[in-house]
Amino acid sequence: MVLSTIVKSIEYMLKRPYTRLVPAKSKPFKTERLRGAHILDMSKCTGCSMCQLVCPANAIDMVEVEGNYPQNPRRRFPRIDLHKCTYCGLCVEYCPFNALYMTSITGFELYTRDKKTTLKTPLELSKGDPSLITVRREMLAVKEVKPGG
Amino acid sequence: MAGSYTVYFGPQHPGAPGNIGFKLELEGERVVKAELIPGFLHRGFEKMMENRKWENSYVLSYRFCVEDPDSLEVAYAEALDKVFKVDPPEKAKYFRMIQAEFSRIASHMFWVHFMAGSTGLRTPAYWALVAREEILKWFAWVTGHRVYHDFSVPGGIRGEVPEGFAERTIQLTYLVEDIVKDVEKALLGNRVFKRRTRGVGVIKGDVALKLGATGPVVRGGGLKYDTRKIAPYERYDKVSFEIPVGEVGDSYDRALVRFREVYESLKIIRQAVLEVRRGEPYRVKVPLTAPPGRGYARVEAARGEYTVHVLSAGGRSPYRVRFKSPSLPLLTTVLNYMLENEEVTIADLPVVLASLDPCPPDIDR
Repeated sequence: MVLSTIVKSIEYMLKRPYTRLVPAKSKPFKTERLRGAHILDMSKCTGCSMCQLVCPANAIDMVEVEGNYPQNPRRRFPRIDLHKCTYCGLCVEYCPFNALYMTSITGFELYTRDKKTTLKTPLELSKGDPSLITVRREMLAVKEVKPGG
Repeated sequence: MAGSYTVYFGPQHPGAPGNIGFKLELEGERVVKAELIPGFLHRGFEKMMENRKWENSYVLSYRFCVEDPDSLEVAYAEALDKVFKVDPPEKAKYFRMIQAEFSRIASHMFWVHFMAGSTGLRTPAYWALVAREEILKWFAWVTGHRVYHDFSVPGGIRGEVPEGFAERTIQLTYLVEDIVKDVEKALLGNRVFKRRTRGVGVIKGDVALKLGATGPVVRGGGLKYDTRKIAPYERYDKVSFEIPVGEVGDSYDRALVRFREVYESLKIIRQAVLEVRRGEPYRVKVPLTAPPGRGYARVEAARGEYTVHVLSAGGRSPYRVRFKSPSLPLLTTVLNYMLENEEVTIADLPVVLASLDPCPPDIDR
């Protein structure tokens, strides 16, 4: 039995290494639905603060922004603290105007020693790369089904 | 060396099962009594959930067990289904089963690392982590996160399953089975492992059940006690599987039962995956305010039976949330029963603790 274990160990030893060197040799692990840092569409947000109400980690607060936004007369937009955020995606799910998205930026890409850099103002949130968007509201929102299935 | 000593063991000891301490009373080498020192991880989860609303309290429901979060997620979702009096679609029920079973396998694969570490067999433990990693990758692909998934919610599951779901899931079950067979052969067949675990930490199933334990500790002692069979939740009554049991009830039998359980879990997943089809409804909308009432759920997690009791007084938040974890009796009554009835030396204590597989964050919450 010990011999067979040794043979098996050598077999596993000859396989390619399972661990990867990130980010030196390979890119971070990504999937199509990875829930990461947010993107805000400032042309859609009306400042209803639904995201702030539903956030379980109190990572969102509404701040005033300079500029002219016809759909948002009070000019109040969400500011997200990515250090507090648990990336549950409830803000995306509950946004009634489809203004918040999530991207695949997560993990060590957000790692920082300075917590001020993870406190994203609305303008910083709106400058995210839309090609990285992974989670949209229609993926999470409830389809209208009668109770009972 | 004779004489009585008092020794503190943990929470920073590599042999301790996580962040928990013990005050051991020794007579020579023999451990006579172990007094648990919990509280290093207390964060007040139940109270935090009561201060949140129905729609976001579930985010906290599974965060106190890193190794096996999905059983808790399923338990809380099921309790809230009863509070809101909704019946989730069939697809959601089958998906929750797959989720819970994969979580059980991932937890047992993590346990291999503790067990192998305490007996000095490090090599197969790393193979087991490959199986766990593949499962976590599957979770990231389906739900979006690796460890905490936020996927089972009141009213069903949170999103549609991705394309090619059944194929990849079945492929994964065979991959995991191959690795688990290798690990089982290398670990349970090893002479050193047998000598370290045979006859160490013996407890019979009926005794363990009376002392408050559930799960593999009871089944290792030869008692066929499994919540999935006694009080089937989700769709466990529609799938066929066996309850593996041990004979003697020692550490070796508990290890054996855990490996057998993995094969049964894979069997359940292969049956349930056929019922999860794309395009079918997966979630029922639940209202923002709950009617007054209560919800109660029992689930069989990797460590034993979790019970969740949610009390609603109407309104936007739960009035009271109560979790009962399976880990507390393992480290108090069951451990002290073993210490009283056999000679457990201080060298055997890490093996006994690892074979019980407690989860300290569960105890503290």
